[in-house]
Amino acid sequence: MSVADLARYELAVPRALPEACQLLAARVASGEPTLLCAGGTDLLVELGMAPPLGAGARPPLCVDLSRLPELGGVERVDRDGPRIRIGAGVSYLALGRHALVEGALPLLARMSHDIGGPTIQARGTLGGNLATGSPAADGVAALAAHDATVVLTSVRGERRVPFAGFQTGYKRSVRQADEIITAFELEPLAPGSPWCWRKVGARQAQAISKVAFAAVAELEGGRARRFGAAMASMAPVTATLPATRALVLGTPLAGLDGEALDRAVAADTSPIDDIRSTRAYRAHAARALARGFLRELGAAV
Amino acid sequence: MSSSEVRREHVGRSVGRVDGAAKVTGRALYVDDLPARPGELHGAAVRSPVARGLLRSIELDPAFDWSDVTVVRAEDVPDNVVALLVDDQPVLARTRVNHAYEPVVLLACADRGKLERAVAAVRLELEPEPAVLELEAALAAETVISGPDNVQSRYLITKGAADVEAEDRVAASRAAIERALAGCEVVVSGRYSCHHQEHLYLEPNGMVAWWDADGLHATGSIQCPYYVQKGLCRGLRLPAERVHVTQAVTGGGFGGKEEYPTMLALHAALLAQKSGRPVRMVYGRREDIEATTKRHPAVCEVTTGCDRDGTLRVLSLRALYDAGAYVTLTPVVLSRGVLHAGGVYAWRDARIEGLSLATNTPPSGAFRGFGAPQTLWAIERHVDRVARELGRDPAELKRQNLLRVGDSTPTGQVLRGSVGLAECVTAALEASGYRDKRAAPPRVVGRKARGIGCSVVLHGAGFTGSGERRLQGKVAVDLRPGGRLCIRTASTDIGQGTETVFAQIVADAAGVGLADVDFATPCTTHVPDSGPTVASRTVMVVGSIVERAAQKVAARVRAEQAAAGGSFAAAGDRLLAREGAVSALEQYEPPGWVAWDDARYKGDAYPAFAFACDVAEVEVDLDTFEVRVVGFWCAADVGRAVNPVMCKGQLEGGALQAIGWALTEEVVWRDGRILNPRLTNYIVPTALDAPPFETFLVEAPFEHGPGGGAKGIGELPMDGGAPAVAAAIEHATGLVLDGLPLTPERLLAASLARGEVKP
Ligand SMILES: Cc1cc2nc3c(=O)[nH]c(=O)nc-3n(C[C@H](O)[C@H](O)[C@H](O)COP(=O)(O)OP(=O)(O)OC[C@H]3O[C@@H](n4cnc5c(N)ncnc54)[C@H](O)[C@@H]3O)c2cc1C
Repeated sequence: MSVADLARYELAVPRALPEACQLLAARVASGEPTLLCAGGTDLLVELGMAPPLGAGARPPLCVDLSRLPELGGVERVDRDGPRIRIGAGVSYLALGRHALVEGALPLLARMSHDIGGPTIQARGTLGGNLATGSPAADGVAALAAHDATVVLTSVRGERRVPFAGFQTGYKRSVRQADEIITAFELEPLAPGSPWCWRKVGARQAQAISKVAFAAVAELEGGRARRFGAAMASMAPVTATLPATRALVLGTPLAGLDGEALDRAVAADTSPIDDIRSTRAYRAHAARALARGFLRELGAAV
Repeated sequence: MSSSEVRREHVGRSVGRVDGAAKVTGRALYVDDLPARPGELHGAAVRSPVARGLLRSIELDPAFDWSDVTVVRAEDVPDNVVALLVDDQPVLARTRVNHAYEPVVLLACADRGKLERAVAAVRLELEPEPAVLELEAALAAETVISGPDNVQSRYLITKGAADVEAEDRVAASRAAIERALAGCEVVVSGRYSCHHQEHLYLEPNGMVAWWDADGLHATGSIQCPYYVQKGLCRGLRLPAERVHVTQAVTGGGFGGKEEYPTMLALHAALLAQKSGRPVRMVYGRREDIEATTKRHPAVCEVTTGCDRDGTLRVLSLRALYDAGAYVTLTPVVLSRGVLHAGGVYAWRDARIEGLSLATNTPPSGAFRGFGAPQTLWAIERHVDRVARELGRDPAELKRQNLLRVGDSTPTGQVLRGSVGLAECVTAALEASGYRDKRAAPPRVVGRKARGIGCSVVLHGAGFTGSGERRLQGKVAVDLRPGGRLCIRTASTDIGQGTETVFAQIVADAAGVGLADVDFATPCTTHVPDSGPTVASRTVMVVGSIVERAAQKVAARVRAEQAAAGGSFAAAGDRLLAREGAVSALEQYEPPGWVAWDDARYKGDAYPAFAFACDVAEVEVDLDTFEVRVVGFWCAADVGRAVNPVMCKGQLEGGALQAIGWALTEEVVWRDGRILNPRLTNYIVPTALDAPPFETFLVEAPFEHGPGGGAKGIGELPMDGGAPAVAAAIEHATGLVLDGLPLTPERLLAASLARGEVKP
């Protein structure tokens, strides 16, 4: 998209969440084309690749979410125990620098530095990352490893969806068209606990993940009492690795078998050949990364 | 005045770029920044979706409103040829298409949105035919798309035992080299391949064309204004005086704006002619990647013979280059490829054969290195292999066999001087700690293994053989009021710094300040034909006549000063008042000793070679096979560095481009179409991927080079990066890869093949 194309879109800039929800509800009800825009880093790419609008076609309305105060902020909240609430509109740049995130969600902070490059980090948001629904989304893999709760808001009110129940298929989710993702709630990681963020891309910046691996663990008595892990670009949706998690949680670390781990990872993923990498490479890297983290936890794999 | 009398105040100093301020402040106008001319239209091309086929018809959707859209078809082209070496490429396809993205119809419209819809409203009825998409298929010639066997050009270089006189030189020299190989103590064979590379200059191709009483004007992002003029004259049947081609500020070229802009200028000019309006065509990234040229993929089969002590004796090399669908500049690229195929080694007997083959991919074209990186990749990887066979360190084996003054290249060119090879090797190996790092087993920390590797390369400066003599490149230096001097040349600054280094050369030659030198906008109407901005010839060849022209003009002013006094400026103004114009036009003449036999490919291929030793250190992740270049050392014999910082900038930028070619850049094809025509998936290195560079300038002056001996170095840094990185990966992992690119996926496959990791 260039400046010359701006005339092809109408823009609405709501200043508060209720206003945004009402506008969205009305647009959805009328069936008129509507786009939500947070950082715009996915949206503008999509629009740039979209076919040209037909002559005389109604220009879509672009609703700018970037000024909604309700989508900002990082704070501690209490919801069945301590949680950290991250606004869906917080940029990666802010996330990566936030003391609370660095201290209690170090994986998220680290991940934020790996997204795209500085310009993308300055604009991109976790809300956009999740709403786009790409299986390659790094932020989503990080959220999934923490079993984040997704908070959705619409004129009908607010609802909370556990991550495991959010994605329903390739670029599909339980989010209704009139719902705005407002925040994520994550359980902090016990201080000093091991975690792993590994983005395997074709270069050091501006690379969509061939594979990304996110994992957190809390250990006690030779076992993992908490183990959350996820992978990007390994399945049609973010891979939440249920078999791997069950294996790790159910086995004393010292007794963990490398082959069994490989099998669990394989069962949890369905990598493909595409423009960025190969099925074989992804399968290999996924195994190797999982083994690497479990070695850090003390498993002899 | 001989060059030794020149006082050097500017040459050899890293003065700031004369075009720098305008570029960083946005004052410099690239083609898309040029203000729209009244009534200007946007132009677009409708391109073939298939790699090969018969064009049955072109239908304009009758439901679309074509009233304000200009349509140009092949029939509208006065002479439907893009003039280069051979007249095989049409401006617009007429009856058949030979590659995907080949232009078929041109459209222009004032409204860009409507133009996009108009492109979608053109229906090409094509009957697809079997296409030849790879070198191997072209060679097998089961489908023939060019000549009797798809072979488009060939060269044969023979030396020593292979240099036989016979009716069938190809066969006789082959038999002779095989006999020579049979007599060697150690014979080693290998096959080395390399792939397309996209230039990915920052600024895509772009052109604005318009017509007026003076004829046709075309202004664009170009390297070679006179190539564009020649193409416009031919395609539109115009005399040169009616065609005015101007270079806009250009954001990079790397060869990608050498021949392609001629096509684009023809398109814009045709639309402008038919519509009667100015037409602007600026490619988006996607179209630029899809439709324009790429580096030639190549396969080299190499067999060498040497003594047990490592003395290299006999070279037999066959290089196959994928030309793409039209000849364009391929024979010249292939020529440079075979001329560099012997590398930096003193072969006693050599037979080098080169073939270019036609395929149905977009034409391969000029790209920094111009054919040499392909054969140098092969010979450097091969000498590494010989070292492995002999149990020797590759760098030591290379050093043992380096060309020296008095040695001869495969064309029989005796090196007369300016050979700083050994110094380069010593400097790069020492600075990098190569020997110590190589002596111990590769360092493995955690799951990361480090390795180091080296390559040694050369690059001929200027056109090959008799090229410069034929070309007769010219420049002018004019005296301007106030004692200023203005350089008029068709050698363009495309980001590499021509304006700055020419100003330095002129300032010293004339004894004036840098601020007193101007650089005229390259326009065919106002500047003489200096030859194209290619082939590492700008500084060494054109710079040498710039120097002479400046000396001549300055001498006239100094004579006036001596006769009647006053400052340089006052004397200059008196001269101007008296004579109206004071100018020196100089024409390049190669050194008298340069002798070249085009028929037998023998003699002095280049007046001078630049040399380099590259050392790469890599870290390979043994889990993911990701490769990071963690150190890169380059020592280059540049003759004389006119501007050391810019010279190092060229060497380091070129090395990074070579690292990209080696590790990540890959054009992915399906059915002749490109699957990754975007910045997000055609992977060039970013700043974070750039290793720390340590670059050393070795100065073995070339007696005929300007500024006290400068040689051309524009392409040299593209030559050695890939083999150095491959050698380093081999050291780190034991994996021997002979095909580019060295992606993690390919390293994994190689590791699987060795049974090191399980599938
Ligand atoms: C050069 C480049 C590099 C990139 N690198 C990476 C990378 O390394 N890793 C990675 O994961 N991604 C990467 N991306 C993709 C992108 O930056 C991320 O997905 C980012 O998180 C998107 O956030 P955004 O705010 O910009 O989304 P937007 O583009 O504003 O929105 C994306 C989509 O989400 C919807 N949306 C946005 N916010 C909400 C919300 N609160 N509620 C409901 N719907 C919403 C929009 O309607 C739109 O459909 C890259 C993109 C580019 C252009």
